[in-house]
Amino acid sequence: MDSSTQSPPPVANLELKARLLILLLVLLLLGSVVYVLVARGAFERTQQVVLVADDSEGVVVGMDLTFSGFPIGRVGRIELSDDGNARILVDVPRKDAHWLRTSSVFTMESGLVGGTRIRAFSGVLSDPLLPDGAVRRVLRGDAKAEIPLMVASVRELVSNLSSMTGPDAPLSGSLRNVQTATEKLNGPGGGLGLLFGNDADARKIITTLDRTNALLTKLDGLTLKADGLATKTDVLISNADRQVFGPSGVLGDAQATVIQLNGLLADARTSLKKVDAVLLEAQAIGANTREATTDLSALRAEVEGSLRKVEHLVNEINRKWPFARDTELKLP
Amino acid sequence: MTPIPQIPVSTSRWARDWAEWVRGWWQIIHVGAQILVLALSPSSYRKSQRAVMARNLYMATAPLLPGFTLLSALISLIIIRIVVATTLSYGLSQYALELLIRTLVLELLPLSVALFVAVRYTMPQGKDVRDMRLRGDFETLWRAGGDPARDELLPRVGAGVFAVVLLAAVSCFVALVLTYLNVYGFRTWGFAGYTRSVGQVFSPVVVLIFCLKTIFFSLAVSLIPIVFTPRVDQGDFKGMNAEIKVLARLFAVILLIEVVSLVGNYY
Repeated sequence: MDSSTQSPPPVANLELKARLLILLLVLLLLGSVVYVLVARGAFERTQQVVLVADDSEGVVVGMDLTFSGFPIGRVGRIELSDDGNARILVDVPRKDAHWLRTSSVFTMESGLVGGTRIRAFSGVLSDPLLPDGAVRRVLRGDAKAEIPLMVASVRELVSNLSSMTGPDAPLSGSLRNVQTATEKLNGPGGGLGLLFGNDADARKIITTLDRTNALLTKLDGLTLKADGLATKTDVLISNADRQVFGPSGVLGDAQATVIQLNGLLADARTSLKKVDAVLLEAQAIGANTREATTDLSALRAEVEGSLRKVEHLVNEINRKWPFARDTELKLP
Repeated sequence: MTPIPQIPVSTSRWARDWAEWVRGWWQIIHVGAQILVLALSPSSYRKSQRAVMARNLYMATAPLLPGFTLLSALISLIIIRIVVATTLSYGLSQYALELLIRTLVLELLPLSVALFVAVRYTMPQGKDVRDMRLRGDFETLWRAGGDPARDELLPRVGAGVFAVVLLAAVSCFVALVLTYLNVYGFRTWGFAGYTRSVGQVFSPVVVLIFCLKTIFFSLAVSLIPIVFTPRVDQGDFKGMNAEIKVLARLFAVILLIEVVSLVGNYY
């Protein structure tokens, strides 16, 4: 027996080393188990969001629910509801649940590359928090589903192109017409021949052009005359300018007249002030006269009173006096 | 051990080959079951046995551990760089982590560990065992009151299983750390996202298949080279020697386990 005949060299602290190796293995296995459990979210406190979709194709248990590209939850279960819709139960850790609001929108997208992605969008982060167990409809966008429609459209397009480019197609006729037109363009009539269809009409157009040229020449002459007239008008205006606005022009005289008028007006203003003073004095005299008139009335009344008294006295004397005349008229 | 019934000489060559093939596999399963029963028996862990077990366990693991860790780290680093650079250039970097964990940790490293332990430890041990059997040492031991299965086979098989599991665990740990460092550098901010990616890959089914695959790899690597089969050890199988035949058989079994695990993971 090899093991007995050729015994291998002894290993120092063999049992200890073996125990250390076993301990290392146990630690690695336990660490792996704990790490995988943590990675699977076994120790997280979660709340649930139920997403309802008409099709759960591409959704698998364990896939992420992302918000702004960051995973905030994972699909825990997929089930078929009584109304035939797919219910996707998403576990969202409590620490990330604040990203989901009552106004949040959930989408499920399937791209051409990669698997299906479930995303959450929260536009208004001040809205109330999404409650535990909330049920939300998920909006679905599938790029792969668009492919059959696109293929059908492309097929229709190709069919239309084929019918357009066929030998009896209108496009072919148009191209033939274009070729004929090109040949005409290169012919003696050129573009005018192509436009009018015959050379006679094209010649008429050329004649018309010649006449137009002659007319334009005459118009040039008229323009030159108009230029001369304009020059003379300029000279006239400059003379008028000199007469009116020049150093000995009408405008200077008018200015002097205005200055004189200003002086006259100042004199008139002074005279009027004097008249005002005279009027004031006249008003004072008038007032005095009014007072005097009042006194005169009283005086007059007194004089009249005195005269009556005198007259009465005279009458009394006449009556009492013997040589009084008989003033009484006696009628027969 | 129960003697294997002989095949009659009158049988045709094709039938004899087939019968020997079946007999060989039956022998492996039979010995494997015996070893399993012994491994679960408390009598196999008596104090006299413990020293032998410890020695085999140490000799199977300690010499291989530094070299294989270094080698696996180097290979992992190369693959990680290739995958990260390629996914970045195609704008698919979000799939790099999952791709790396699936290819390295789930597939390549356990396979490498199994082959490495087979070549470095269990096949040389298997040759020793077969030589002992051919020399008649097992009968001698049996007559001396020992049990060849308990005294010679169980420590070797146990050591082989232990070596495969430990090296797989260490290399996977190193690969995960290197992947993180390659993607995020020496910073801790990406640890939560990285852990989440690892968690997405390691679903319960994947974990179960990974564990079963590693255990079956370790059993295959430990048992197949040790078990004596007449087709391999006695017959002249197309001029090949016994080691090549054992390696071919082992490789076929490992390949089969790998294919079954791939089917389980991805279908």
